Amino acid sequence: MTSFNKVKDWFISMGSPPFLYKWIMKYLPFMILLSLLLVFISLSWGLFFAPTDYKQGDAYRIIYIHVPSAILSQSIFILMAITGGICLIWRAKVAGMLLRSAAPIGASFTLMALISGAIWGKPTWGTWWVWDARLTSTLILFFIYAAIVGIYSSIEDKTKGDRAAALLSLVGVSMIPIIKKSVDWWQTLHQPSTFTLTQSPSMPPEMYLPLLANVLGFYFLFIALLFLRLRTELALREQRKNWFKQKILGD
Amino acid sequence: MNKLSLTSILFRLLQKDLLIAYRKTSSYLTPLIFFLVVLTFFPLAIGSDSSFLNRIAPGTLWIAALLSSLLAVESLFNEDFNDGTLDQLFISNQPIFLLIIVKVFSHWMITGSPILLASMIGVIFFDLPTSSIFTLLVSLILGTLILSFLSAFGGALSLGKGAILSAIIVLPFSIPVLLLGTAATNAAIQEIEHSSYLFFLGAMLFIVMPFISIATAEALRINSD
Repeated sequence: MTSFNKVKDWFISMGSPPFLYKWIMKYLPFMILLSLLLVFISLSWGLFFAPTDYKQGDAYRIIYIHVPSAILSQSIFILMAITGGICLIWRAKVAGMLLRSAAPIGASFTLMALISGAIWGKPTWGTWWVWDARLTSTLILFFIYAAIVGIYSSIEDKTKGDRAAALLSLVGVSMIPIIKKSVDWWQTLHQPSTFTLTQSPSMPPEMYLPLLANVLGFYFLFIALLFLRLRTELALREQRKNWFKQKILGD
Repeated sequence: MNKLSLTSILFRLLQKDLLIAYRKTSSYLTPLIFFLVVLTFFPLAIGSDSSFLNRIAPGTLWIAALLSSLLAVESLFNEDFNDGTLDQLFISNQPIFLLIIVKVFSHWMITGSPILLASMIGVIFFDLPTSSIFTLLVSLILGTLILSFLSAFGGALSLGKGAILSAIIVLPFSIPVLLLGTAATNAAIQEIEHSSYLFFLGAMLFIVMPFISIATAEALRINSD
């Protein structure tokens, strides 16, 4: 029980900008180093040491970038919806900043999944783009990310912008299943998901272990990038506050 | 002061909005004309071969309906926001999402229902079989209602920021309506089973109506603070 209370206290104290800023500054260098190292190791494992596919040859190796970015594009949206809920219900300022920092990163990962998919599609399907269900719904996800970035950057008042973006990400997360179902039913060509929780993957372990390592590495990369952006956002918003002037800017 | 019941408040709100629209001709004529102009431009741009027109007709009708409901959204909240009516609705101590459902419904009667009439001209333009008219109308009624709710949300979120931002917000969410609506119309033209699409559209309307109007209320509250 006490450990639960400790976690709860820690979580609540994260809502205070000075505490969060200090915490981020403490772990930021470590996170950046760790994520770069992880991505470097797992990417070179996938690109140089994993066996060649008997059907697709070396072209399949783009999976080590494509799948992690696609997974992240969805995870980040869910994270944004959760922080959006926190921002709307408890009016937590930090949740809004987190949402704001995560949105452009999520949009970039979605774009990366789309572009790497197009590059992968050229040798395997013979075309850069097909109007397949998964491609289309990923493109739509990118548009929703763009709408969220558009709404908060067009609203002058920061707190209002946070809440508008939070509301849009909540509506987005509840509309995405409907959009996805309707597009799925519209047409489907893409291969099924690489990883499911219930079945073991159809790839040999020499191929999917580096893929798993890459997914992990990309998650850490995301966290490091999020820390960087969140630090900037905190500094921008709190620059006139006393704690910031005293502790960060000197004296 | 006599107290009004909720139903009579909702009825008076509807009456007020319709009366304002009735006295301002442009509010219901502009979306109608816009719809017709867009319809005219597709054959001009793509080609006027009759069998080809028949194939692109459902998509064209639906895209025109989508665009005109997006453009019409500015008249939904902006005036009420500028003259303070919106604040009055918020302090009226009534369930705000019901007021919004009524406002969106009156907005649909003003800007959406003329499109239903104009779609009959579209049937002539694109030489569609008369057997498909009923399905086209039912799918357009359900679809434009859903689009009105979605664009109300977009308009509330981008209050005073112009129609383009609201279009960016609304367009991704209106994809299911576009897919189901065109599929229903296409199936009706080819005379195959299409009632399931209409049921899906109806189901979507009853999911979207309560949830989106709550979200719209929240968006208005954020922007009018």
